Amino acid sequence: MPEGTPLYTELTVREFVNYMADLKSVKAKEKKQAVERVISETGLKNVENKLIRNLSRGYKQRVSLAGALVGNPDVIILDEPTVGLDPKQITEIRSLIKNLGKNHTVILSSHILSEVSQICERVIIINNGKIVAIDTPENLESKTEEKDIIIVTVEDPKNNMDNLKNTISEIQEVKLLKDNEDGTKQYQITSSSGVDLRKKLFETLPKQEIVILELKKNESTLEDAFIKLINNTTEQNENVEPEKDKEILKKEKEEKKQAKKQEKLSKKQAKKEQKEKNKKGGEK
Amino acid sequence: MWAVFKKELKSYFLSPIGYVAIGLFLLVFSLFFYLTTISIRAVDLGNLYFNTARYGLLVIVPIITMRMFAEERKNGTEQLLLTSPKSITGIVFGKFFAAVALIAMTLVISLIYYVILCFFQAPNIVPTLVMILGFLLLSMAAISLGMFASSITENQVIAAIITIVFLVVPWFLPNLGEAFTIIDLMSSYQKFPAGLISVKEVVNLLSFAAVFILITIIIMQRRKSVK
Repeated sequence: MPEGTPLYTELTVREFVNYMADLKSVKAKEKKQAVERVISETGLKNVENKLIRNLSRGYKQRVSLAGALVGNPDVIILDEPTVGLDPKQITEIRSLIKNLGKNHTVILSSHILSEVSQICERVIIINNGKIVAIDTPENLESKTEEKDIIIVTVEDPKNNMDNLKNTISEIQEVKLLKDNEDGTKQYQITSSSGVDLRKKLFETLPKQEIVILELKKNESTLEDAFIKLINNTTEQNENVEPEKDKEILKKEKEEKKQAKKQEKLSKKQAKKEQKEKNKKGGEK
Repeated sequence: MWAVFKKELKSYFLSPIGYVAIGLFLLVFSLFFYLTTISIRAVDLGNLYFNTARYGLLVIVPIITMRMFAEERKNGTEQLLLTSPKSITGIVFGKFFAAVALIAMTLVISLIYYVILCFFQAPNIVPTLVMILGFLLLSMAAISLGMFASSITENQVIAAIITIVFLVVPWFLPNLGEAFTIIDLMSSYQKFPAGLISVKEVVNLLSFAAVFILITIIIMQRRKSVK
């Protein structure tokens, strides 16, 4: 399914899907059934006799999807399927794609990463034409979490938060994020790695006469992971590649030279062998 | 090829283009029917078909060929065609024959003029059919040219202009030198209006059509491989 949903707008939905079925050489016997199935699968039943020109964008997107689905392909490639849709249409299309994933391999290209983490089982991040990461979205998210960061919103009239570092030894840093107007404050607490402080905080803070209003772990999203990965690779490229490139190029050149030499040698040998064979044949 | 042919022919009549083309064509036909037969009281249809071929095709062919590939390219629907398992050759021929079919329909309607003449004195039917056959071959050549023009641009207007220029300019070339007569399509429609089938003219027209269909196929093939 291409981006921008190119469609024959002078046709009706059914005519278009029929045409796509013809183009994909669906057999005449199975065609009617295939078209029927795709139309109901994509929820186009109630607009099947309307001209595509008069449909809303969400429906057009679905018609395009129906065109891609007819003929039951093993792999479906979708290019930004939810661009320009309203939230309701987006959720509909997403659930449709999720359903498709049960029977087909769906390759989805998208810039909306929240969508990707919702729908996809595996993510490939590509930067400048190179694959940066291949993993499940959950793994990518957890990989980029460096330290355990906890965010708390508290009511702290006696300013006991400043002394917190002394009472809990695992805390590395307490940083004030926001001083809200209603007297509550939001802090970011960094602990030494691998320690989950939430339980401890929950037990100790009330003793210090601090009321906890909110306590949450700072979860990194796929977006954070994406930015980090992209930044890492571009930095690497900038710092290391020029020198490495030269070295690699040199090596490659040498390797090529050697390969050529070897080829020549092997050809010569082959010729020699043939000559010898011929000679032997002549002698015989 | 069949799928594309069906859809293209249907598309002509889903948009006004098919009706406009046929209507204009019949208008030109009627005009020349009056000028070449009624007003001079002749019962010969040769001049009718010759003049309509010369001036009618000039208007009709660009109208029906300009959208062929240019529109698909502009709307992006070209992707649907190029990524389908159908061969480029099949797609090009499907579109080509859809346009030919449109002209063939008009030619069938043009038999009206023969019927009208029958009220006065029936002309021989065979030469008339030969004229129509020649007309069809001529329009095939012109359509292949228009199709080629449509495949090299995504702007329909430019495609139409290219077609018209290619059809009109050869009229004046014989003035530069006799050798240029061959390029003029109308030079291959000289014997047909007299009811004669000349092998030279048939071969000329068919090879002309074949060349431009081939070029179109090559262009589309290239677009497929580049994309």
